[in-house]
Amino acid sequence: MSTVCPQTMPHAQLELLYREHHGWLHGWLRQRLSSSADAADLAQDTFIRVLLARSAGSLREPRHYLATVARGLVIDLYRRRSLEQAYLDALALRPESYEPSAEERALILDSLLAIDRMLDGLGERTRAIFLAVQLDGLSYEKAAERVDVSVSTVRKHLAKALMHCLLLEDE
Amino acid sequence: MKVALNQAVDWYVRLNDSQVTDAQRAAWQAWLAEDPCHAQAWARLEGLRQRFEQAPQGLASMALENARYSRRTAVKTLAALFGVGLVGWQGYQVSPWSADYVTRVGERRRVTLADGSRLDLNTDTRVDIRFDAGQRLIHLLHGEILVQTAKDSRPLSVHSTEGRILALGTRFSVRQIGALTRVAVEEHAVEIRPRLAEAQMLRVEAGQACDFTSGRVGDLRPAQTSASAWAQGMLVVVDWRLDDLLAELSRYRSGYLGCSPEVAALRLSGAFNLDDCEATLASLQDALPVEVHRMTRYWVRIDQRKA
Repeated sequence: MSTVCPQTMPHAQLELLYREHHGWLHGWLRQRLSSSADAADLAQDTFIRVLLARSAGSLREPRHYLATVARGLVIDLYRRRSLEQAYLDALALRPESYEPSAEERALILDSLLAIDRMLDGLGERTRAIFLAVQLDGLSYEKAAERVDVSVSTVRKHLAKALMHCLLLEDE
Repeated sequence: MKVALNQAVDWYVRLNDSQVTDAQRAAWQAWLAEDPCHAQAWARLEGLRQRFEQAPQGLASMALENARYSRRTAVKTLAALFGVGLVGWQGYQVSPWSADYVTRVGERRRVTLADGSRLDLNTDTRVDIRFDAGQRLIHLLHGEILVQTAKDSRPLSVHSTEGRILALGTRFSVRQIGALTRVAVEEHAVEIRPRLAEAQMLRVEAGQACDFTSGRVGDLRPAQTSASAWAQGMLVVVDWRLDDLLAELSRYRSGYLGCSPEVAALRLSGAFNLDDCEATLASLQDALPVEVHRMTRYWVRIDQRKA
């Protein structure tokens, strides 16, 4: 979590924003999510994000801004849930019995989430090669076999994926 | 910095090769020492590598690929249904996790609705609640529920994939099984209307059960004894085949649970605790000439006991 910066929105301003738009935002989310508990949570999270954002200042179009922030949170929630389910499924398929603690699971899920976000925007082939080498630990030769390309293509796509991840960190 | 990062990536790709030579390693060392910028770029790459290492090998790539696939399918389904232009979040609306009340495999839950009606959710169940001025609607999206209606002037009905069940002041359970809805009534009565054949309305009275598809209503039959005992955490069976019992227990736990053909037709009666499936499985060994074989927690098979 980021820390509160000196430039954040003054408390009174946030309170006003909350009072005027919270009901609207909750309704907006409720229309888009079929769970009212999720909608309530995300509406709260949106205001927390706004509170922590440096750039909030005075908003010319507060609802547009709130909706943009909320939309990002919805995508994140969806991403997290799909990953959590896929991870539990993958875990259940493992031959040996291995049960990570709740804490371990949360850490692993966080790292999967970070990686999943980083890999957004990579092409299918680049992604497959990256996963084979970096996450499955395959040699270039084995990865080349799996994806059915040459070893030099594996090198090229691996470099491309790594560069993509590094540049994302800058943003 | 971008140039240094590019070089760092090139080095990384070379050093990560199984056929890396000592000469290459030495050249990399020289490059590192050449410029503080190089060392900095390498440190960032190293940080990235450590992050990947936190993900469990083997599991991570499978989870990432499957999660991506499930999101893509969800988005495609929606596109096919509504022909809408798509951005990521719209896939959320058809995601299986978005429902008002949800239970996971092995979990049960009791909720009281706004009108005072009581709803029990069995294992692996999802429901949406839509109450308005004119009606009380419960959407059963997956799994099984037991409804105890409260008095209210608005009609209460349960919608399943196959059709509607109108409650007539009552206690009843509804279960979604594949392309089938199973209704069992404990008190008073309900009316069933299949989605594609509303005229086939059928009244189901207390003590009766009925299966229906979207186009057809099945025959009325006596409801199973203690069919809704699950709401109390129990499974009560009378003269069941072993394979049927295992299929039923499978709903409450993850992984494979099955038996060999030699023991499938063995019969038994009993009351089992749903919160402790492992103890239930162990008790089978006392009741029947069988042995429980566990490969892992997720793979259990019942075989004939060796003499």
